[in-house]
Amino acid sequence: MRVMMKATWLFLICAIAVTVASAQDMCPARPLPGSLVVNPLDLFSQNGSLTVNMTLENQEGTDHFMHYCYSYIYQGQQIEAPTLRLNPGDQLNLNLTNSIQAPYDKYPKKMQMSMHVPQPATKQPDADCNGGMILPSTTNMHFHGMNIAPICHQDDVIYTLIQSGDPPFQYNFQIPPNDNPGMYWYHPHPHGEATTQIDGGASGALFIEGTINGTQGLPERVLVIRQQFNNPNSWIPGPNQLTVNYQPALFPDAPSPYINMQYGQQEFWRVLNATSQSFLSLQVVYGTTPQQVQVVALDGIPLSPPLAENQIVIPPAGRAEFIVPGLPSNQEGIFLTNGYATGAVGNANPPQDLLKMFGTDSARVEPPPARPASKPTADRPRFSGLLTAQPTTTRSLYFSEQTVGSNGPTQYFITVAGEKPHVFHMDDPPSITTTIGAIEDWTIENHAGEAHDFHIHQVHFLLMAINGVPVQNPELYDSYPIPAWSGTGPYPSITVRMDFSDPNIAGTFVYHCHIIDHEDGGMMAKIQVNPSNKH
Amino acid sequence: MKQLLIALMVVSALIAPAVLCSANKSKPSTSPIYVFTNDDALRHTYSSVYLAGGSQGSPTLTFQQSINTTGLGIGGGFFGTPRLAMLPSSSAQCLFVSDAGSSDIAAINIQTQTVLGTFQGSTNDNGTSNGIGMVMNQNYLYAGYTLSNTIATFSIGAGCQLSFLGDIAVTPLNGGWIAGMALNGNVLVVAYIDGSIQSFNTASGIPTSNNDEQNATGFASAYFPDSVDITQDGHFAIFGDAAVPTTVEVSDLSSGKLAPTVLYILGAATNAIGPGINSATARLSPDESLIYISNSQNGYVTAAFFNRNTGKVTGGCNSPQLANFYNPWAYVGSLQTRDTTGTGNVLYVAEFGSSIGIVNVTSTGTACTLTESAASPVTDDLSPGLLSIQVFPPRPF
Repeated sequence: MRVMMKATWLFLICAIAVTVASAQDMCPARPLPGSLVVNPLDLFSQNGSLTVNMTLENQEGTDHFMHYCYSYIYQGQQIEAPTLRLNPGDQLNLNLTNSIQAPYDKYPKKMQMSMHVPQPATKQPDADCNGGMILPSTTNMHFHGMNIAPICHQDDVIYTLIQSGDPPFQYNFQIPPNDNPGMYWYHPHPHGEATTQIDGGASGALFIEGTINGTQGLPERVLVIRQQFNNPNSWIPGPNQLTVNYQPALFPDAPSPYINMQYGQQEFWRVLNATSQSFLSLQVVYGTTPQQVQVVALDGIPLSPPLAENQIVIPPAGRAEFIVPGLPSNQEGIFLTNGYATGAVGNANPPQDLLKMFGTDSARVEPPPARPASKPTADRPRFSGLLTAQPTTTRSLYFSEQTVGSNGPTQYFITVAGEKPHVFHMDDPPSITTTIGAIEDWTIENHAGEAHDFHIHQVHFLLMAINGVPVQNPELYDSYPIPAWSGTGPYPSITVRMDFSDPNIAGTFVYHCHIIDHEDGGMMAKIQVNPSNKH
Repeated sequence: MKQLLIALMVVSALIAPAVLCSANKSKPSTSPIYVFTNDDALRHTYSSVYLAGGSQGSPTLTFQQSINTTGLGIGGGFFGTPRLAMLPSSSAQCLFVSDAGSSDIAAINIQTQTVLGTFQGSTNDNGTSNGIGMVMNQNYLYAGYTLSNTIATFSIGAGCQLSFLGDIAVTPLNGGWIAGMALNGNVLVVAYIDGSIQSFNTASGIPTSNNDEQNATGFASAYFPDSVDITQDGHFAIFGDAAVPTTVEVSDLSSGKLAPTVLYILGAATNAIGPGINSATARLSPDESLIYISNSQNGYVTAAFFNRNTGKVTGGCNSPQLANFYNPWAYVGSLQTRDTTGTGNVLYVAEFGSSIGIVNVTSTGTACTLTESAASPVTDDLSPGLLSIQVFPPRPF
């Protein structure tokens, strides 16, 4: 009887604990419309390494959106999606705990897909590295734009599947010493489930520290543009909002997010498009005059010389780093997106004010973060000399779609020319096989009536031509938009040069459209890069 | 004398309709031909009415009026879902228009072009995701609701009044939803847009499965039947596939059940260049010599020759890309023939975005042409996403 009483008490205590735990907020509160926009919390590497413990959690917020948050405890407070800052050559140790719980989403899924990932050829000691089932509660992490190894515990998104309740999973890799200083980012990449998690806000910035010419001493803004959806009655994503550092940008329906700038003070802005499907045409406007900004880096790659632009188009996953001119006295500014023509059957991509800029004479602006001295990048930055390199292979690929109705569900394809279009499944063999040392020119066409956004893991590519016309000053990107086909005439295309010379990237990884919904819907394929006999 | 007068009156009463009918037969062009739309607008959806006209080789459509169904639409959905239903007879009196947003069905008197009422199935029946498809015979109307995956049965009474009898749930094999529907005699054939198809027996009113649910042959290639048509004799079911090449599938229905489909790939099979991106809607010509196919995603119409005795499909012809594709309209929806005999001579094509395309048909039996009329397209201003149209008088099966 006494034992039974004990058991009953234990059960009650457990039940109360579970009830209290479930009543707690899993994700930090997000800022209300009309609030001051502040930079995400910076976490700097110390003595050559950065160790971070993060938990991916989900919860429907008071705003009725489903939040997916990378939660980090800082001085006893729960912080969302900190910015990771490391020098070239530094070690990142990121321990990710998956605490995703049902309910996972606010709208039903579109189509059943093959969600089983076969075991890799060589079984890994860690169970989370051996494929298995991708469930709505499964996650993993992609270090977007990083030129690191496609292997478990580094940047593998094929076989690495972290299940809810698993012990913390350790990502552990070195920032390549010859990587460029610039903006990168981290986000989930479980095939078929990435849209829900990224739309929920699971993303954060990562910087490889270093000097970018012209930015020394400038106040730095880190702006992460995300997108959240709330359409509980339909499987169509439907109405959505852009957010700036988690604050909804709803003007004129609600006050804009805002920042305070010191009059006349240039600022260094580092903007990440972490939306799942929004192409941003960014512009800084003072009064009614669009401003010319100095773009100093794109997709984490410094530009030399900088580009003077009064509008910067960045596709989903793109980054732009630029110097904003000082706000003239007694003026206000607006940072906005002008919208983007996604094509006859593309998602609506309307103009939207993102934040307001108010001036001040006092020093109320946030000071630049106190950054430890960064290590210099190795002598020969990655991808140097690619422009004059002789390609060893050329390939043709194309994006296309097949839908059963105007609302979908749509099958999304990325296909090597001559092959049969098909929806990507995780157990597919590689569509492309190449070898370390290969330099390849890929022409990617868009046969669809909506824009797509080409992205490849592990490497940046050099944009050589658009619609067959050589680009005058080719730059490196890891994501690039291809406009919609107009319905007649040649298909829009880009030609890019791939550098597979780094032996560290040997393995199998993916390329896909970075409209996450399309990626989840099958617009993805594998590339296998075999080690070279020469190494 | 009185008896003679009565006899004359009886004879006159018997002869008059025949005389009128023969007059109609000799002058078919005098009978007005109407095209009805399901405008499927998010607010206050309408059925717009157009009068067919023009001359040989230069057909036209002239807007008549828009009839407020009093319901709500959703502005799009599955290509193969038939959102208008009419008895396949020149004596049809009722036109039914589905309101997917409000999950009801509006009944319209074809002659007076007035709404006679709106009708709902059970509270479970919901078509708000991708529309409500309908087929009917003299006695029953069957409505397929895309979100609830249910088929509701209504009996059709006087004055086009519907009475809900009950509904059944359908279970597509691969997680899809009901889209295409066709009815011939007591056989109802449906397509689930996930590659699976099924037929039902409607002899007792509410459908019962024929236990023939199966994946179509195209499923292995990710070609998904979206629309359905059935030959007049009920021998073959024809499916238009959502597929990268222009693809139709034919199933032998002569046993009363769907036989495994035979796949016919008509368009570019790999690179999807040129005609042949998505053949989601397919419809037989009145003489069953041609299958008309909407290439929904690249703005073309294809005609393929069909042998109604063997069920075999062979290559035919493609239209040019229809005018204004992607600017402003985006998808080719359902198509209907103007005439009730022969090839139908003229095709009316629902253009999502929104307009009606007009295409001339010629056929020698072994070769054909599809050319767009100079008067095409005709705008359908009240529709944000036109996918379904219906012609009166309709094809007679």
